[in-house]
Amino acid sequence: MWRTIFRKEMLDNILGYRFPLFFIICAVLVLTSLYVHQADHAKRVRDTSEQVRLAGEELAAARAADLHFGRIPLRGFLPPAPMAVFAAGFESSLPKFYEFTAEGPRPGDTSVAEESILSVFGRLDFLFIVQMVASLIVLLFASDMIAGEKEMGTLRVILANRVPRHDLLWGKFLGGFTAVWLPFLIVFLVGAIMLGLLGLPLGRSGIPARLILVFLASTVFLLAYFGLGLLVSASSARARTALVAILLVWIALQVALPRLTDMVAAVIHPVPTETVVSMQKSVVVKTINDETARELGRRYEELFGRGTPYSTAPEPEARRPEWEAFKTETQARAAERKAAQLREIESAYQREKARQRAVALNLSLISPSAAFTRLVTDVCGTGEIDRARYLEAVRAHQRTLDAELYGHVHKTTVIMPSGGTASGSSIDKLIDPKALPAFAFTRASVSAALAGNWGSLVSLAFWLIAPFAAAYVRFINYDVR
Amino acid sequence: MADPQPILKAEDLSKRYEDGVLALDHLNLEVRPGEVYCLLGANGAGKTTTINLFLNFIPPTTGTCFIKGIDVNKDPLEAKKYVAFVSENVMLYGNFTARQNLDFFAKLGGKADLSKEDYYQVMRRVSLQEKAFDQRVKNFSKGMRQKLGISIAIIKDAPAILLDEPTSGLDPKAATEFLEIMAELKNEGKAVLMSTHDIFRAKEIGDRVGIMKEGRLVMERSRQELQYEDLVKIYIDYMKSEPLAV
Repeated sequence: MWRTIFRKEMLDNILGYRFPLFFIICAVLVLTSLYVHQADHAKRVRDTSEQVRLAGEELAAARAADLHFGRIPLRGFLPPAPMAVFAAGFESSLPKFYEFTAEGPRPGDTSVAEESILSVFGRLDFLFIVQMVASLIVLLFASDMIAGEKEMGTLRVILANRVPRHDLLWGKFLGGFTAVWLPFLIVFLVGAIMLGLLGLPLGRSGIPARLILVFLASTVFLLAYFGLGLLVSASSARARTALVAILLVWIALQVALPRLTDMVAAVIHPVPTETVVSMQKSVVVKTINDETARELGRRYEELFGRGTPYSTAPEPEARRPEWEAFKTETQARAAERKAAQLREIESAYQREKARQRAVALNLSLISPSAAFTRLVTDVCGTGEIDRARYLEAVRAHQRTLDAELYGHVHKTTVIMPSGGTASGSSIDKLIDPKALPAFAFTRASVSAALAGNWGSLVSLAFWLIAPFAAAYVRFINYDVR
Repeated sequence: MADPQPILKAEDLSKRYEDGVLALDHLNLEVRPGEVYCLLGANGAGKTTTINLFLNFIPPTTGTCFIKGIDVNKDPLEAKKYVAFVSENVMLYGNFTARQNLDFFAKLGGKADLSKEDYYQVMRRVSLQEKAFDQRVKNFSKGMRQKLGISIAIIKDAPAILLDEPTSGLDPKAATEFLEIMAELKNEGKAVLMSTHDIFRAKEIGDRVGIMKEGRLVMERSRQELQYEDLVKIYIDYMKSEPLAV
């Protein structure tokens, strides 16, 4: 019996104005968005490879000392994610490259800097279209599924026949959803073919799996919203009431809840800003540097006499070894103290920030929209997981360069008790520029993206099952009057 | 010859809603094959509740409905095999043509292998214009939709037909045509239970007429009895009488 209802539901939707309207909206928005984002991605790929080439040439021509002293910047580039075509995520807000210096990594430009004020509305990528446009259309499709039948009186005529209510609900659910899903499937397939023709590496390992997962996640997300619409429809006596209720539900779940969670997390778990942390670090560095310079100055004057100007070869020569030993030991101690205190500040900040982010993310999972966004961006390699991996790769590369390049530079500053400041630098071992390790960043695999998203998957599963189950219970027990 | 067994039977049927309203109070009635039973009464008298209980749209508080001897509450799906329903003001599916609507409801009624001509025949029988057969129902008048609603009931070919205010809002010509179809169905041996406000048509078509007030069947007359009584006067007298103690 459900098949008869299914066919009727499909046909009713297809013959109505909503089906062609949704098809056209879906086709225009999705195909335009994919085309534009693919063109943007191709440009980013060209720009990045050109920048990598130039940086490589510069490095090849560089002298070792220039690298040690940071006169030639060392850069690590973020390779553009092909799947950003579907979900831009953090792709445009992350620095396109980091510059590694003795003072730490410095972020380069982001794509956001090149965007217009219109970017505040959010990027019209596939993710946005599914999340904001398709979800609303799906809800509108579902809004009169039951309420409309009640209002038209057809529900009474149907149920006067030998139709089990669960068959009616399943038939309507599946038939109604298929009518929305079919255009979506067709447009997605056409879009994927178009991207292949435009040069997106569809055959590259991982991309087909990511494409399938994006489509499946979108289907589950839209199904969840359809179930929600069915619940509202089953609970309303009139289609218009259902429509108003559905708009309120959509605003709450799509617009309000995901944005509120960040604010709530900031209140529950406040964290100092990055600027404050950076200032704390500067104060630590400056304090230790000043203390070290004063200690060196005091010892220098003890060994070579008050008022002796600072020189790398002071007289008498016999005291030089003692000075060098003191200098090395004091600088090493200072470097150790500095590193320990900076590490402590940084790890405390990262720990607190991670906690705040975890609170926000876990709260946001209440919304199917946030769960869907998180899952799809991670599957596309532009989400939270890859952002964390990129930043970790930057920190790891900085540590490597500190050990192999900047750690061999010794800067000495002395503050004399009798007045005056002097400084000098030395390199204890010159590095071969060609032997420097290259910055390495690889995006998380599909399985890692899924493993990191079990919360999103549970949330989507909940939203998929719970509204439909509630609609089922309501409809089975509904008194037809 | 003994009276045939009733197709529709209500035994001590009561319905009290969650809000405490007693919509139906110990109703007993029977409708036999080839008989038209008209339920008259004001709004809220319990006519639609009676039909809803026969169709298992709502559960009874006490009592039982039987369709062809089957307890509706115990085996609703089996009971619904033997009943067709015509609702008041049914809109049907506007995006579908008359034939598509008919096809859908025929399949729900268990008639899966009907031909196009079968549908046309039924629509001709209810005097729906030929040109409307393949037109979208959204452009239909109320009368045309009601005719299509009757076609849906006819095509199911069930022994019992329930009609809830079927002539409400119809123009006199359409209402007369409707009664002619009812007469044909009655002659075919269908048991018809019809709720209506229309006293004149109830008298014209009904083999028995029951007047309901505040959930109770307060009067029942056969066609023979009504030949010697004024149904309008009886109805008005009952409506004017004191409220019933509940």
